[in-house]
Amino acid sequence: MPRNRTVRFAVLGSSVQRAAASGYPSSRSSALKRRIIVGGLVLLSLVLITVSFRSSALDGAQGTAASILRPFEVAADRVSRPFRDAAGWAHGLVDAKSENKKLRVQVEALRRQLIEDESAVQENVQLKQALAYKGPPSLANFRRVHASVLTNPQSAIDESITIAAGTGDGVAAGNVVITPQGLVGTVDKAWSDVARVTLLTDGQSAVTARDLTNPAAVGIVKRGGGDVLVFDRVPKSPYVGVGDTVITAGSVGRGALPSMFPRGIQIGTVASQSNNDVNTFKTIQLKPFVDFATLQSVIVLVPRAGEAGG
Amino acid sequence: MDGLKAALVLFVASLFQLAVLTEYRPFRTSSIVLVALLSIALLRGSVFGAIAGFGTGLLLDTATLGTLGVTSLLLTVGGFWIGRYGETTARDRFHAPFVSVAVVTCLYAFGQLALFFVLGEPAPADIVVHALPLGLLLNLLLTVPVYALIRRLFPPLELGDRVREVRLLG
Repeated sequence: MPRNRTVRFAVLGSSVQRAAASGYPSSRSSALKRRIIVGGLVLLSLVLITVSFRSSALDGAQGTAASILRPFEVAADRVSRPFRDAAGWAHGLVDAKSENKKLRVQVEALRRQLIEDESAVQENVQLKQALAYKGPPSLANFRRVHASVLTNPQSAIDESITIAAGTGDGVAAGNVVITPQGLVGTVDKAWSDVARVTLLTDGQSAVTARDLTNPAAVGIVKRGGGDVLVFDRVPKSPYVGVGDTVITAGSVGRGALPSMFPRGIQIGTVASQSNNDVNTFKTIQLKPFVDFATLQSVIVLVPRAGEAGG
Repeated sequence: MDGLKAALVLFVASLFQLAVLTEYRPFRTSSIVLVALLSIALLRGSVFGAIAGFGTGLLLDTATLGTLGVTSLLLTVGGFWIGRYGETTARDRFHAPFVSVAVVTCLYAFGQLALFFVLGEPAPADIVVHALPLGLLLNLLLTVPVYALIRRLFPPLELGDRVREVRLLG
């Protein structure tokens, strides 16, 4: 049976008077109005992207707005902290016994190591004084600004955090950020009360590093995907063993630009290393000391006036 | 009144996302803000969704000190599109919020990747592709309580309030 369809329009409710509905503003508005509003918002977003990306004209407003949001973020963090602590405590109970045994053994080994290290440090200090040795910048040349982490990375490809310290505390772009466990990253941009930190796991971060056990093994530590870092550009000849500690190398050689990272900040341990005939360099993977996923607070290293610099 | 309620809901969701959820690595792949926004857009329409998306994006970009406008652009388009879906096809279909969240989660991830690439920022596609299944699953799980809550706060409008004009065949 042939279907004979025609197209026509009908208006619902045209024969019945309705009370003015409070709903769907968009359905009441015409299609043109809707398109104008959405087009305007998209255009405004593009203008914001352009201005924000190409100039610093919006930095002041963004910094002020971020400062206004800061108390709310701190409040949310405080409200949720007891629940997180409870979850962490419950999680810790699961493997507490086995971990306790392992840690006792580790404490004994570290105690012996500490005695050796302390005597070496004392000897080092005496020799430096005797020789009036001028070394590269070390952690002692920096003032430490402690700051809490306001926001963590927001997506799988975001590798930045915001911290509750800014130019008012002396923090500036390029400052090195650490935790007691090791290197975190660098300050990317600083506002008066807040700053954005690019993590070491970001694709654009890299740091000159060396093996603590074998100082001849110098290379560049950069992102390796996920929680793993890559210790790249290490020549094949120096021996690098699994479990070795890798630290920042500071300024190596006589380059025109000194390293912004002071020497001796812990980065991680060698998780695996291999050589092959095709590559010029070793393939080394590092397990970072810092857990970038659970950063609660950080330390910003601010150069002391007239001392270590960028 | 709906505008005020939406602003409050999205502000709380943003704070929860920024200060609590993202402390856990798996939740960096998902977004309670996206789920809340899409739920509101589905129930209140395209213009409402677009404006809510723009405001929420601006809030997130400000709080994370990121490039202003990036999240706004993505959420504006997402809010508008799902709002249109709610006004036209979805209506009271059970699967509508899940379909909306699933589709926009994928498009949001790749849209963000494309924007980062255009802006010359690191845009590792492999990380996005690997994180997407988990993000999709978590967002779909979040949809159940979040949509139920938002449906209580924003009761669906009567059909006559939503659709003024239809095309009849035959």
